[in-house]
Amino acid sequence: MVDEDRLKEWFCREVLPLERSLTHFIRRNWRMRDDLIDIRQDVYRQAISAAQRELPNQTRAYLFAIARNNLINRAKRAKIVSFDLVADLEHLGLAPDLYETERGLEARDELRQAMAGIEALPPRCREVIRLRKVEGYSTRDVAEQLGVSTDTVEKQTTLGMRALVDFMLGGSGKIQRPLFARKFRKEITP
Amino acid sequence: MSKASNIETCAADWLLRTEEAGWSETDQAQLNSWLSESDAHKAAYWRLEAGWRSADRLAALRSDHDTAIPQSRQRLSWAWPIAASVIVIFGIGSFSWWNSVPALQQVEKMHVATNIGKRKLVQLEDGSKIDLNTNSSIRTATSEEKRVVWLDSGEAYFDIAKRSGQKFIVYAGTKTITVLGTKFSVRRDGEKVSVVVEEGRVRVDDTTVSGSARSAVIEGGDVAVSRGLSTLITTASPEKIDDALAWREGMLNFDQRSLAEVAQEFNRYNQKKLVIGDADAAAIQIGGSFKASNVDAFVRLLRDAYRLNVDDSGASVTISS
Repeated sequence: MVDEDRLKEWFCREVLPLERSLTHFIRRNWRMRDDLIDIRQDVYRQAISAAQRELPNQTRAYLFAIARNNLINRAKRAKIVSFDLVADLEHLGLAPDLYETERGLEARDELRQAMAGIEALPPRCREVIRLRKVEGYSTRDVAEQLGVSTDTVEKQTTLGMRALVDFMLGGSGKIQRPLFARKFRKEITP
Repeated sequence: MSKASNIETCAADWLLRTEEAGWSETDQAQLNSWLSESDAHKAAYWRLEAGWRSADRLAALRSDHDTAIPQSRQRLSWAWPIAASVIVIFGIGSFSWWNSVPALQQVEKMHVATNIGKRKLVQLEDGSKIDLNTNSSIRTATSEEKRVVWLDSGEAYFDIAKRSGQKFIVYAGTKTITVLGTKFSVRRDGEKVSVVVEEGRVRVDDTTVSGSARSAVIEGGDVAVSRGLSTLITTASPEKIDDALAWREGMLNFDQRSLAEVAQEFNRYNQKKLVIGDADAAAIQIGGSFKASNVDAFVRLLRDAYRLNVDDSGASVTISS
């Protein structure tokens, strides 16, 4: 068994820097955009579960093997199966990835990245995150400063945090709104 | 919302709460049990935590954020009802928010100092504790918004009681250390300031350059050493942190440090000074745990175990190979 601290350290150091490549891989092979977060988290979950016995030597190959199997299983479970897709995935192997080079951010890039991430937020969210991250305010401080309820601040902070983290890990940094509006979630296979 | 999105929202809520005042051991236990429920929870929480921490460097923008993150857009687009007052507060805030120490209303003033070889535990009325090391001196003051300590010389360990809305600030030479978390020590050797964080987070700012911010957030396991304008931050192993804080138990721990450094450490604690006679002796690597006040025992060890020559004149001991 790998103890939890080591597992977490491995996950943050080796797996998370691959998020951008992983996202790209999922997008390329699975056309339902709405499933992205579900799939990615599922891949992370499986990666953590399986690494509990022993940390893998080749994290990259390990992660993408999990992602590929995950997509194959999903395709097999889907109501309408596109055999092409399954076949494609099975032949995909672990082809060299175009995004091989990217690794964790250098410390000095982190600040630049974080600034750009904050800039990418919608105004209200940006201000809440700015007060928290730049000025070091607590939720209550932010609420007082802006004259709004702590509830509102919490909601905005949560949304902003998720978007900023997405950006820091190489994503678009878009706010993930609740999916109320997405009525047309189609049952179409990729 | 999708399942993953729900989990991520939960994880974000937890993460926010850990940063708030009043986060307790019970809360931590609840978080741990939530994490152990599922590897999906771990994945979401670890990911958010790592990404959120990686944005901590934003704190470096604190004093001159106006240039770093343009605010014009958000001022125009504020749709919240209290927009006017917000802008007023910002206007004032950007000039005087952080460097307003002189305006501090000092409610309580205390001066504590220790002699060579002595230690003192200072209890502040808010429940914070300061462990003052050998040959050190501090002054304290509190106001409604701030608790302030000046480290005039020496070394002190801080265990800070969290108070929301009342910051805890340590001034050490040209460095300002703002407490965002709980347990850390500050050591001052003239211009050189070292900060060792055992738990929680602190921010170290340079006060010599007004306007241009030089700021670093360091957290548990980090050691920051500043000399003038340059600050070096390293992550130390838990053993290193323990070694650096061993003085609180009256001990000095060394992991393969040169005899020259070790002697210097002993000399902070004792009237009887160690003098190293030659370069060969100075370079000898020493490891182990020693009582800070028992310089004689250490000298005996050098003589018996390392076969060094010892010349004890009473006021000082000269060691040579």
